[in-house]
Amino acid sequence: MSEERKQIEQIREAFEQEFGRFAHLRVEIDGLSLTDAENLSRELVELKTKHTGKKSEIAGAKKLIGRVAPEERGAFGQFVQTIEKEIVAAIEEIENNLKNFVSKAKIEREKLDVTLPGKRPRVGHLHPITLLRQRIEDIFVSLGYAIEDDREIETDYYNFDALNIPEGHPARESQDTFYTTNGFALRSQTSTVQIRAMERRGVPIRIIAPGRVFRRDTPDLTHTPMFHQIEGLCVDKGITMAHLKGTVGVWLRRLFSKETKIRLRPSYFPFTEPSAEFDFSCFKCGGTGIFENERCRPCKGSGWIELGGSGMVHPNVLRACNVDPQVYSGFAFGFGLERMCSLMYSLDDIRLMFENDVRFLEQFR
Amino acid sequence: MNISYNWLKDLVEVDLSPQELATKLTNVGLAVEGIHEFENDFVFDIDLTSNRPDCLSHLGVSREIAVIQNAELKIKNANNEGQRTKDESQNLVTIQDSELCHRFTARIIRNVKIAPSPDWLIKRLEAIGERAINNVADITNYVMHELGQPMHSFDLNKLKENRIVVRRARNGETIKTLDEIERKLDDSMLVIADAEKPSAIGGIMGGFESSITSETTDILLEVAYFKRENIRQTSRKLNLSTEASYRFERGVDIENLIRASNRATELICELAGGTSEEFVDVYPTKFQPDEIESKNIQFAVKRLTGLTVEETEIIRVLSALGIKPKEKSQDSNLKSQIYVVPSWRHDLVIEEDLVEEVARIYGYDKIAEEIPPGKSAGEYQPTEPRKKSLRKTLADLGFDEAISYSFIDVKNDEKFELLPHLVHENLDEKFVTLKDSIIEGAVRMRPSLLSGLLDAVRTNFNFQKRDVKLFELGKVFSASNKENELPNERELFAFVLTGNEMLENKTMPVRELDFYDAKGTLESAIDVINPINAPSLEFIAKDVKHLRKGQSAEVLFNGKLVGTLGRLSDEIAQAYKFKQPVYVAEVDLETLLLRHYVLNVETAKFTIKGNEVKLTYRPLPIYPSIVRDVSLLIKRNVSFAEIKKAIESEN
Repeated sequence: MSEERKQIEQIREAFEQEFGRFAHLRVEIDGLSLTDAENLSRELVELKTKHTGKKSEIAGAKKLIGRVAPEERGAFGQFVQTIEKEIVAAIEEIENNLKNFVSKAKIEREKLDVTLPGKRPRVGHLHPITLLRQRIEDIFVSLGYAIEDDREIETDYYNFDALNIPEGHPARESQDTFYTTNGFALRSQTSTVQIRAMERRGVPIRIIAPGRVFRRDTPDLTHTPMFHQIEGLCVDKGITMAHLKGTVGVWLRRLFSKETKIRLRPSYFPFTEPSAEFDFSCFKCGGTGIFENERCRPCKGSGWIELGGSGMVHPNVLRACNVDPQVYSGFAFGFGLERMCSLMYSLDDIRLMFENDVRFLEQFR
Repeated sequence: MNISYNWLKDLVEVDLSPQELATKLTNVGLAVEGIHEFENDFVFDIDLTSNRPDCLSHLGVSREIAVIQNAELKIKNANNEGQRTKDESQNLVTIQDSELCHRFTARIIRNVKIAPSPDWLIKRLEAIGERAINNVADITNYVMHELGQPMHSFDLNKLKENRIVVRRARNGETIKTLDEIERKLDDSMLVIADAEKPSAIGGIMGGFESSITSETTDILLEVAYFKRENIRQTSRKLNLSTEASYRFERGVDIENLIRASNRATELICELAGGTSEEFVDVYPTKFQPDEIESKNIQFAVKRLTGLTVEETEIIRVLSALGIKPKEKSQDSNLKSQIYVVPSWRHDLVIEEDLVEEVARIYGYDKIAEEIPPGKSAGEYQPTEPRKKSLRKTLADLGFDEAISYSFIDVKNDEKFELLPHLVHENLDEKFVTLKDSIIEGAVRMRPSLLSGLLDAVRTNFNFQKRDVKLFELGKVFSASNKENELPNERELFAFVLTGNEMLENKTMPVRELDFYDAKGTLESAIDVINPINAPSLEFIAKDVKHLRKGQSAEVLFNGKLVGTLGRLSDEIAQAYKFKQPVYVAEVDLETLLLRHYVLNVETAKFTIKGNEVKLTYRPLPIYPSIVRDVSLLIKRNVSFAEIKKAIESEN
C-alpha cells in the first residue's frame, strides 16, 4: 500500500510544483494587468484539465484503489479523494480570484464618462411665425372657428372696394400698397379673406384667416415689406362687441395666462363701425408696467400691449357679401404675427424674421 | 399732433390733471401717445385717426373734453357774420371754379407793421413744436392750431389789380412756392391767382412773390374751404404735403371760416397794429348738414355693442357732440328720429356711426365679455394636418423652416427650371412683376422658392455656418394666360441641404451629406402626407437647368411630374460663391395635396385616380424573414431601377 500512497504523493507533488506559480494569486492578485490575468486564466484552464480531468493522473490513480488490500481500501480511497479535493479546491480558488479580477478590471476599463454629449441627431426648428400661427389656430378651432386662407394677389375690389374703401379714400391712396404691372394689388391686409369667405360660405360664419400681407414699408427695426396677419370674423344674428371682447379675451388668456385682461379703445377702420383697437394686459409684468424693478419692455411701462384692430363689421362690407346688416351683425379683428412674436421674445429687429439665419431659427421650438 | 394743456384751459374748463386727461382722451379715441413738460405747460402727443380731422386743433380737442366732463366750451359759437364794411367790393374775390372752392373769405388789413411776435405767442407755438417767423405768419399759424382752420396772408400790394381770382391752373403754368421751389401746375389744380398769375396753390402753399415780407404794410387774409379730394390729389401730384393740405384734404369746418377770420384779424390788429377794412365772403356752395335716420338709437346701441344706455344719456352725449335730434313736425307719423350732423364732423354718415359716438363716450370699458353661442364645429384647412406632418417630419430630420420674401430679384429669372405647368411659356410676360419695389431690384413675384433658400444658405455661410438644412412652404406666382385675370398662385415645398450630417453638441461631423440624403429627405417628406401603403415617388435621371449633370432627377408622383431634385449646378454655385456641394429639391405641394388619397370606407381602400391602397392590415408572416445574397455582373450604364424592375417582374 505504501507503494500506492507514494504514487499519490508523487501526483500531489507534481501538481504542487506546477501549481506553484499560481499560488501567490490567493492573496496578491491586485498588481496584475488585465492581459496577465487573462493569460493566467487560460493557463489555469490547461492546468485544471491536466490535473482534474478524466485523463488526469489523479483520475488514473483511482484505479489503484482496487489493488489495495481490502481492509486498507477505505482509508486509501479517502486519501485519494482528499488529495483530489485539495487539487480541485486549489485550482478553483485561483480560478474564482482570477474571474473576479478580470470582470472588475473589465468594468473599470469600460467605464464611461456619462457627462459626455449623447449621440443626438440635430432636430430642426419650425419658424416662429409657424409656431405662433399653429398655437392660435388650435385655440380658435377649439372655439368652433374654421381656418381660411385665400389669394395673396388680389383685385382692388377685394382689397379695397368690398372693404368699404372706395376710390379716393385716403387709405387707398396711401402709398402703402404694392401693385403688379397688370394693376393687381398684393393684399395689404388679410381682411380680403372676410369677403372671399363670406362669398363662399355665406353666414353665419366663424373663421380666422392667417396669411401673408404686403405693405410698401422700407425694412427697418419694426417694419418689413411683407409680414403675416391673422384676421378673425364672426357673423351671426345677435353678435355684439361684447362677443368680440369675450372672444379676444378667451384667446389671449389661453395663449398667455388666466389673468390676462382685455381693453378696447375707440379707433377708426373703414371696414368696421364701431371700431376699436384691442389691447391686453402685458404678459411680462402682468399689467403693472414694472418688471424686475425696471420699466417693463414689451409694454413700455404702460402695462398694456396694443395688439390689433377690431370692430363690428361695417354694414357696407356685409352688403358687399349679400348679407343683410339689418338681420346679421358681426365682429372682425386683425393683428400682425411678427409684431406679436417680437413682443413675446423681446426681439428688437423684425427683419431677422425673413433672413433665415439658422442661429435665429434654432432659438424657437 | 401736439396739444397744449394750458391752451386747452383757455377754451374749456378742465378739472382733470394732465395724466387723468390723457387717460380720458385715450379712452374716447384720441390716443395720447405721450405727455411732456414744456416750461410750465404740459404737451400731449395725440395720435389721431384719419376720420377725426375735427380734432386737429385745440378747439376740437376741447369739444371732446367738454363732452367727457359735461362742461361748456368757454369760446363763443361760430359767428357766421363777418365784420363787413359798407364798401363791399364784390370785385375783390371771384370764384371761377366753385366746384373746387366751396367758400372763400378775404379781408383787407392795412397799415400793419411786420415784426417779431410777442413772447406769449412765441411760447405757445414753441410748446407745440412750431417755429415763430413774424407776427402775421405766427398769428395765422396760431389760429389754425386753435380753431383748426388753415389760412393764408398775401401782401396785398403784390397782387396784380389787388384782387383774387380762384381758378384752375392753366396747363404749363408755374409758381414759385414759399419754399422757393418752382412748381409746374396743370388744369386739375386749383390756384389762388391775382388778375394775372397764380399767387398760391389753393389750400396747399402760398406763392413766394406775394408772400409777407418785412416791408409789407397791407395784407389780404384768405380763409377758405376747398374740395377735399382735389386738395389730396394736387398734394400727391406735387408731392407737397403741408399742415394746411393735411387739414383741407381731411376736411375743415366750412361754418367756422368767419370765426377764424375774425379771430386772426383781431390778433393782427392788436399785435401788428393794422386796421381791418374790406371783407368779402363768397359762399357759392352753401353747407347742407348731413342727416342720419335712426329708428331706435337705444336699440341700435344695444344690438351692436351689447350696452344698455339710458335714452336720456344717449341724447345728452349726442347733443354735447353737436349731433342734434331734429324736431319732428306735428303731423309727421315718422317713427324714426333724424339726427343732424354738425358741420365739423365729416365722418358721421350712418346710424352705426352714431352708435360708435355713444359707445365711445359712454365707455368701451363698460362693454361686457361674452362668448357667442356655439353653433359650429371648428375645422382646420383641409390640407393643414398633412402640411403639419410634413413640417414636423422635416424638423425631425434636422431641417429649419425658412420664410423668405415673396418678391425676388429679376436676375434670378433664367436661373431655375420651373415646375411644369407653372408658367405659360408662350406669354410675353410670363411672370408677375411689381410696379416698383422697396428692396432694390426685387420686383419679381417669385416663380420658385429656390432663390430665397439659396440666399439663406449664403447668409448662413457668411456667418461660418456651413452645415445647413432649410425648407420652405410657400406660394409662387405666374401670369395668367387670360387677359385681365388674376395671376396664378401655387403652393410649393422646397428644401436645400449642404455640408455635413452633424450631431448636436459635437464638432466632428458624422459624414458629408450627398445626393442620397436629399433624395431620402424628399421621400420621407412625401411619404408622411400619403397613406402608409401608397406608392413612393419615382426618380428619373434627367438634365435640369439649375442642377449639375449626372446628379439631377425629375420627381414623379403617380406617373406625373411634380418636382426636381439634385445637386446645384457649378454655374449657379459659383455665382453664389458656394465652394461646397449644395443639394436642392422643389416640388409642387399644392398638386400633391390636391391629388390626395380618398378613403372609401366600404372597400376599406384609399384610392387616387385608379390607384388603390389597402387600408386593412396585412396578417403578419409566421416565419422569420430570410436575407439572400445575390451577386450579378452588370454593365455600368444599367440603373438600379432597371435591375429592381427586372427582378420584381420575375415575381
